[in-house]
Amino acid sequence: MEKPKIKSWPASLGLPVALAVLVAALSLARPNFLNLANLVNLVRQISINGILAVGVTYVLLTGGVDLSLGSVVALSGVAAACFAHPGQYPAIVPVAIGILAGAACGAANGLVVARGKVAPFIVTLGMMTAARGLALLVSGGRPVSNLAPGFTHIGSGNIAGVPEPILIFFFVALLSRVLLTNMRFGRYVYAVGGNENAALASGVPVRSVKMAAYTLCGALAGLAGVVLASRITTGQPNAGIGYELDAIAAVVIGGTSLNGGVGGVDGTILGALLMGVINNGLDLLNVSSYYQQVVKGLIIVGAVWLDRSKDR
Amino acid sequence: MTKNTWAAIAALAGCVLQGCSGRQPSGEKRPVIGVSLLNLSNELIATLDQSMEEKAKQMGVELIVNDAQRSAEKQVQQVESFVAQKVDAIILNPCEVEASSPAVEKALAAGIPIVNVNSETRAAPTAFVGSRDEEAGRIAMEYLAQRLNGKGNVAMMQGFLGQAAQIERDQGARDVLAKNPGMKLIAVQTAEWDRAKAMTLMENWNQSYGSRIDAVFAQNDEMAMGALIALEQAKRKDKVILAGVDAIPDALQAVHDGRLDATVFQDARGQGSAAVATALKILHKEPYEKQLFIPFQLVTKDNVAQFLK
Repeated sequence: MEKPKIKSWPASLGLPVALAVLVAALSLARPNFLNLANLVNLVRQISINGILAVGVTYVLLTGGVDLSLGSVVALSGVAAACFAHPGQYPAIVPVAIGILAGAACGAANGLVVARGKVAPFIVTLGMMTAARGLALLVSGGRPVSNLAPGFTHIGSGNIAGVPEPILIFFFVALLSRVLLTNMRFGRYVYAVGGNENAALASGVPVRSVKMAAYTLCGALAGLAGVVLASRITTGQPNAGIGYELDAIAAVVIGGTSLNGGVGGVDGTILGALLMGVINNGLDLLNVSSYYQQVVKGLIIVGAVWLDRSKDR
Repeated sequence: MTKNTWAAIAALAGCVLQGCSGRQPSGEKRPVIGVSLLNLSNELIATLDQSMEEKAKQMGVELIVNDAQRSAEKQVQQVESFVAQKVDAIILNPCEVEASSPAVEKALAAGIPIVNVNSETRAAPTAFVGSRDEEAGRIAMEYLAQRLNGKGNVAMMQGFLGQAAQIERDQGARDVLAKNPGMKLIAVQTAEWDRAKAMTLMENWNQSYGSRIDAVFAQNDEMAMGALIALEQAKRKDKVILAGVDAIPDALQAVHDGRLDATVFQDARGQGSAAVATALKILHKEPYEKQLFIPFQLVTKDNVAQFLK
């Protein structure tokens, strides 16, 4: 099989330029923007969106979409929190349960998309509603609190001076990069998104690849849910509303095509960083909340525009 | 489908239209009250629901509870179907000031009394039971002013911009600030009632204002809890006075543990049972209060025990 052409960063410089300009402007306006504490702070703040964005990169690369991320975050956070009360289990148990809950949702999405040939938009929209309902059912509509220190440590603790959410995000990104660029599975993902029929004809197990992409995406959403629950020290059934859109935005800003087959994890990380810099910078500048929303919208569209115009 | 199935469906449909659940086996008619709630996945609203159900059971009333899931459109539809079912009274926990008003108008046009609970609509209902959110903002900010002896820098975390509770809590807090010229509001941002967003915002404030913030008023407890975690992680909690509103269990526990300085108790239980009682008074043509305000209460370490279950 011919190796599909993978567009790798930095083929276009629009995004790094936009990011650099923004960082320069912010550090001029606020000297404390560029200090180490704030940079650590910033990367920790994007780690949850980053994990989700890396996960949904797999799905977008196959030409699909996953709208259920935010609800899956809530469900897995609640599921994990139920097993994370003090003196119950070691922290690894709730973590595993959260990730498994996410993976199960992802696998269900993948199954219906790959076997049932239903449009991913519809399948994951259904999961968005169903998973939110399950999160409410499991928790009885109330936040699940009183979590063991071993569990909340994941969101608030450091290892060698680096906050754990950043380390988790880093490993997720690194492993996904290896998986997508150096392994056969990665080539299959690009092939399915590039041209599904051609991929099928050249012997790519299209259905299994889609299954795997959605399951991985779900598992990472589960992981993000665990990190969130641990960070805010509760499993909240109404957490994560709208997270799927932030994650998809980060991926698309990072150069991954909504039509599939083009893009990658490197761009996604830059995209998530750009969104984090915007959020953090506007707060540091004490920009009014009304203006913040307008400015965010403009910067997101502007960054993608700049990026795409460099391609032509 | 067989003839029998159709017959069963027809019987069921007829039953629903007549509101057959409103009749007791003895034949005596129990009053039926339709309830449309803002959002049952909100803890405060869940408590409101629970207290209404308890009160209804005690008073021998049948409740039909619908969850509008934050959608005013859905809420209007729910009230329309209550009208079609000919319920005796409606209790509305409005989603929005303006967009839920048609629900009130439709009920009144059909001659069904409607009681708004917890928040208001532009259209005037038969009666209103709730609390004044300005009062909550005022109580919290007065507490901060007292702790700071009327002098210091304050940051305020707002709720979802444009919602009645956000606007009124904002107003109440600002009224107190206007009376205390020594208190300076140095930062105001929304964290959309959300714990995770509040945590991020507080981390950013720690960066940009550092030790200049003396007190933080979060317009609900979810945000206060998020701010609390961020302040504790930055090891700054001992230098900042923090107050929230709503008295959710997490916040009460935090006040009890000496982590959170204060919260303001919104008596959702009192509101729920008063709403059912008011609806019944209207039905029995007894005198009732057109506007019944259930007071807020400041909760600190001194009195938290009485609020903890």
